[in-house]
Order: sequence, then C-alpha cells, then structure tokens
Amino acid sequence: MASFIDFRNPPGSDRRADSVIRATSEPLWVRRTLIGIVLAFFILFLVLPLAVVFQGAFAKGWRHFITAFEDRDILHSILMTMMVTLISVPANTLFGVAAAWAITRYSFIGRQALLAMIDLPLWVSPVIGGLIYVLLYGRRGYFGPWLQAHDIRIIFALPGMVMATTFVTFPFVARSLIPLMQAQGYEEEEAALTLGANGFQIFRLITLPKIRWGLFYGVVLCNARAMGEFGAVSVVSAKISGQTNTMPLEIERLYGDLLFADAFAVASALSLLALITLGLKTLAEWKNRRQFEAGQRALLEQSIEAPSS
Amino acid sequence: MSIEITNLSKNFGAFPAVKDISLHIGTGEMVAFLGPSGSGKTTLLRIIAGLEFADHGEIFFDGENVTMKSANERKAGFVFQSYALFNHMTIFENIAFGLRVAPRFKRLSKEKIRERVLSLLETIQLSGLENRFPVQLSGGQRQRIAFARALAVEPSVLLLDEPFGALDAKVRRELRAWLTAFHEKTHLTSLFVTHDQEEAFDVADRVVIIDKGTIQQIGTPEEVRSGSSNNAFVRDFLAMDI
Repeated sequence: MASFIDFRNPPGSDRRADSVIRATSEPLWVRRTLIGIVLAFFILFLVLPLAVVFQGAFAKGWRHFITAFEDRDILHSILMTMMVTLISVPANTLFGVAAAWAITRYSFIGRQALLAMIDLPLWVSPVIGGLIYVLLYGRRGYFGPWLQAHDIRIIFALPGMVMATTFVTFPFVARSLIPLMQAQGYEEEEAALTLGANGFQIFRLITLPKIRWGLFYGVVLCNARAMGEFGAVSVVSAKISGQTNTMPLEIERLYGDLLFADAFAVASALSLLALITLGLKTLAEWKNRRQFEAGQRALLEQSIEAPSS
Repeated sequence: MSIEITNLSKNFGAFPAVKDISLHIGTGEMVAFLGPSGSGKTTLLRIIAGLEFADHGEIFFDGENVTMKSANERKAGFVFQSYALFNHMTIFENIAFGLRVAPRFKRLSKEKIRERVLSLLETIQLSGLENRFPVQLSGGQRQRIAFARALAVEPSVLLLDEPFGALDAKVRRELRAWLTAFHEKTHLTSLFVTHDQEEAFDVADRVVIIDKGTIQQIGTPEEVRSGSSNNAFVRDFLAMDI
C-alpha cells in the first residue's frame, strides 16, 4: 500500500517527464519477454480478479443485483462507510496540510521526529492500528474505566472506527504535499507577505493554488484507503451487521454466510468507487501535466518571438 | 523614509550571518550592500524587510521601532532575485495583489486599482501585457513586473536582492539605467544587494562593503573606489575584478 505514493516525484510537482528510458539498448527478445511478463502479471493479478468481482455480482442476474441493495443491513454498511470516510478524510486533509506546512516552512524541535512519525501507519499492520485504540479506549484500556463511568462508547462503535481509519490513512495527504512544497520553496509566500497579505490570504491565494492538484491527489488516495480499510476497522468494530459493519466488513459477513451474489454485489460497488477514484487520480495527474506543458509552450513561443530582452 | 539599524546580529545555528551591524540610511538615499556571496548582505536585507528576525539589535523606520513587526506590517517593497512572481496569476493580478489584499477599510475601489496597475505598466514600459502570465515573459520583463508589483502598494522603502543577478549583460545595463532614472525621479529610499562592484558604484549614492557579517567600509562610490582604505579585505576585494 505504501507503494501507491511516488514519494520522490508526486503528481503535483513540476518535474519534467522527459527522462524517458531508452529501450533500444536491450535486445528485442529481452524487451518482448519483459513486456510479456508484466502484461501477464497485470492480467492475472489485477484485471482478472476485478472482472470476477463484477461477474460474481451479476451471476444471478440484474434483478438480484439490485435487490441486494434493497437489503437494510447492506444499505446500512454503505452508510457506515460513508460516515467513517466523511469524518476521517477531512480530518486527515486538515492534518496533512497543517503538517506539510509546518514541516516545510518552520524549523522546530521535533520536526524530524514528526516527519518520521507521519509514516508510522505505513510501517505497521493495520490490525495494530486498530489494536492500539482498544488498548487505549477499550473496557480494560487506559481510559476505559473513565469512559465507562461517563457512558461514552468508543470501541465497538463509530468513534473507534473513525479513529482506526484516520490512523491508517494518516500519511497520504501530508506525504503527497511535503515533497511538493519543499520543491516549490516559499519565495512567493514571502513576496505576498511583503505586499501586506496576512497568513490566511497567503494560504488561500498563493499556497493553495500552487498545491491544489497535489492536494487533490492526496485526498483521493486517502479517500480510497478510508473506504476500503478492513483490518484496523475490523478490530474496533463489533461487526454487528446493520449496526457497526462497514462495506468491507459486510462483504466478509455475506461471504461467510455463503451469500456469494450479495457479497460480490457489495464488492462490485466498492470496486466501482475505487475505479472512480482511479479516474479522479488520473485526472489530477493529467491536469497537473497539462498546466505544466502550457507553461512550457508559452515560454517556447515567447523565446521564438523575442529572443532577447 | 530613514532607516536606523543598531547592533544587529543574527546566527543561523552556529554560523554568524550578521555580526553587530549598525547603520544609518537617510531619506531618499540609494545604498548598495556589496560583498562576496555568504557575506551576510542578503540576510541583512531580509532582516530589514522583516522576512528574517535578528537575535540582537533594533531597527527603526523613521524613528519608529519596527524590530518586532512582521513583514506584512512593515510593508517594505521587496524585489527578489528570482522575481518570485505569482505564476498562476496574470500580470495584472500580480501587480494588483498588494492592493487587493489590503484591509477592506483601506482598500482602493476596483476602478482605482485598475488605474494604478495600468499606469504602473506604463511606467515600466510593458503596457498591453496585463493579461499574460509570468512564464510568457522574458527575464527582463519579469524583473520589471516584480518592480511594479512592489511599487503598487507605495512602499516608503524599496529593498532589492540582487535585482539584476539573473539577467544577461545587455538587459542588466538597461535595467540599471532605468532604476537610476526612476530613483532620481522619485527619491524613494532604496537598498540593494549585489556582488557586482560596477553595479554598486554605478547605481548607488553610498556603498556598504560587507564581509563575514560585518561592515568593512562605508562611503560614496568615489571614496570607496579611491582605494584609500587601509582594510585588507576591501583592498583585496576591489582589486579582484578591476
């Protein structure tokens, strides 16, 4: 999952994409074999499973597919997934922008530690991500007795599921912004400052337009992970269908209950969301590249028109 | 506006960038900070602008202590070496920026802002380019836009960090002449940082030679060039590319 983000060259960075590797240095059969292996792997591990999901969803026909989504428990799991995502993604967006800003703009004690800690959720298993919240807020956890005395439920309820999801999706926004903001520097922000702009104006008028596609990319990735998270959420959810099951948990339950067509129907809905996410991600990359190329073209035209001054 | 600097010091970690500098700059003066790279001249300029804060010492603008004021309160016009234009905005929006972010009660009307921007474009002889984007302009044109943007808010001091550093020789000379003419007309207090002796002597009323974070010599171009200094650094530095 960590490999989803290209840390050194995120989509928002204006890095030239002209360093195309020349394939002509390899013999033809090497190239063909390599491309063949990659394609076979791609079909076997990505395309085929995705096709099977949709095929399974429609195995009992259109009608059955639609009735699956009339089931109250299934609808509730979609609602739960949306609630968890709607809370954790904005929270991580806010945190990610703040962290990227702090890390790239200020030097403070603990800066390196913060930079390293942001990656923590990528290193540890999502199950541990769920478990730490049980250890903290569970009945026998640190804050358990206090929470119980005040009748607050975190574990086996929505708050815990939001926390676990937020933990797992913590790095995505910050990580897609930090290299970008480092590469851009902050002279434009300084210029705005000397022109009398306040901090909020600088962020809204200068920084945000500069990072918007990188930010969008980070949010889209974060969103995809939040919707699909299984491990961390399964630890802190009571896994009660119709109450605390999100879509991935509901898929597991349906599959366990041998309701294959229903399981695949929900799975296809989740896959569809992933495909939409992929489309948005591609759009963000394309937009960013186009903006960059427009600038390059204009520069070229200018230098042809007026070679000096 | 006059600027008074007293006992200014600034360290970056263990490295002393500015060491106990005191300096008075009179209203309407054009002063050059001349020195090799790493001498602390840019840091001094940035401290005056409020982009960097000194560890010790004080700064006064017209007798008012601005040491603790942030850059957006000081509003010194600052021109960056790399121009720092807002690439996602048109030339018009770039120049209008300072006017548009002013607090509502001080802000000019839309028509007034338009008038001011267009007249500034005329001053810098780039009328008609208001709808272009910075990347569509040449280096010299961008530099002039950076000037216009800084001047739009009518600053009482202009700070220029290696203003011609990134330009070729011909454009450099043109802009230098333009800046001299502009200063003679407006007498706006101006400080500029350069490592180019010819530029400093040609443009400035007074030259401040800086090395290792301290002032080595202050004087008019004639005084400094006469070689009367008994400072070893100044003699070596001046002998370097003459």
